[in-house]
Amino acid sequence: MKNIADHLFDILENSVKAKATEIKILIKFKQGKFHCRITDNGTGIKIVDKEVEATDPFVTSRKERRVGLGLPLLKSSAESTKGFFKIYNLKKGGCYLEFTIDLLHIDAKPFGDLAQAILDALVCWPEIDLSLWIEKSNQQKEEIFNSKKLKKVLEIEDLKEKKIRDFLYQLFWENFNQIGINKQFGYFQKI
Amino acid sequence: MKNLEELKKIRERVKRDLELRTGKHRIKIVVCLGTCGIAAGARESMNTLIDLIAKSGRSDIIVTTSGCAGFCEQEPMIQVYVEEQEPVVYGKVDTKAAEEIFEKHILNHQIVEKYLFTKGK
Repeated sequence: MKNIADHLFDILENSVKAKATEIKILIKFKQGKFHCRITDNGTGIKIVDKEVEATDPFVTSRKERRVGLGLPLLKSSAESTKGFFKIYNLKKGGCYLEFTIDLLHIDAKPFGDLAQAILDALVCWPEIDLSLWIEKSNQQKEEIFNSKKLKKVLEIEDLKEKKIRDFLYQLFWENFNQIGINKQFGYFQKI
Repeated sequence: MKNLEELKKIRERVKRDLELRTGKHRIKIVVCLGTCGIAAGARESMNTLIDLIAKSGRSDIIVTTSGCAGFCEQEPMIQVYVEEQEPVVYGKVDTKAAEEIFEKHILNHQIVEKYLFTKGK
């Protein structure tokens, strides 16, 4: 993966493959650390023995080939910056995934275009209800986007229109800027 | 701060354009977006294609996505389905290649040999 936004998109694709219909993303940015939590209501990960296995590249439920690299790649990206990575199934069904990446660490990947990644997810999987939350520095959580609400305002077909995509793109960035995620570097807060 | 109400207004403005464009899809482009595709930069190629379609004003072209097809070394990969023609698979489609394929294959129905991976079913 070239950047962290790619990782996020890849994780969303996992949820879609697991037949999720609702995905919730929470992002937080504090002291140079990017924190992300994703919950979905899909089938969850298949646990054969213990939790470690999902991040083993040679454990996969797919049939096209015998390796699965999405989760192991994210794990190594997070852990190489002394961040952490966790994934487990929720009791009520679905999957919970959490990771942090220290953007100030020398091994951290470039941040990438997070808004574009989320917009791409919307365009690729319009049937999925995506909600996006940010956590501010005072630990208040705020929902900045919900595709259920979006669908009330417009038809999914409308996303083909560039003006509409540009609007959403800017809406995402305005909100990310609020919590200190900058387009170029991933941060601009004083640390 | 932007909100969805504003979006509604923009939508009203572009609605007329949109109405003109709803029709049957004759050409389908499938972009493989598995882990391998994403890592190889398939999202950029996909966005290039979406923009090119919007620019050309064609309503009969649609872009969809699929998972990994099992040829990860060829990523980013796209499949082009033109109505009443054999499907064509292109490999290593970066943004430049996407532009070329769109120009030659999608608009003028000429297969671009340079990026061709397989033809037929």
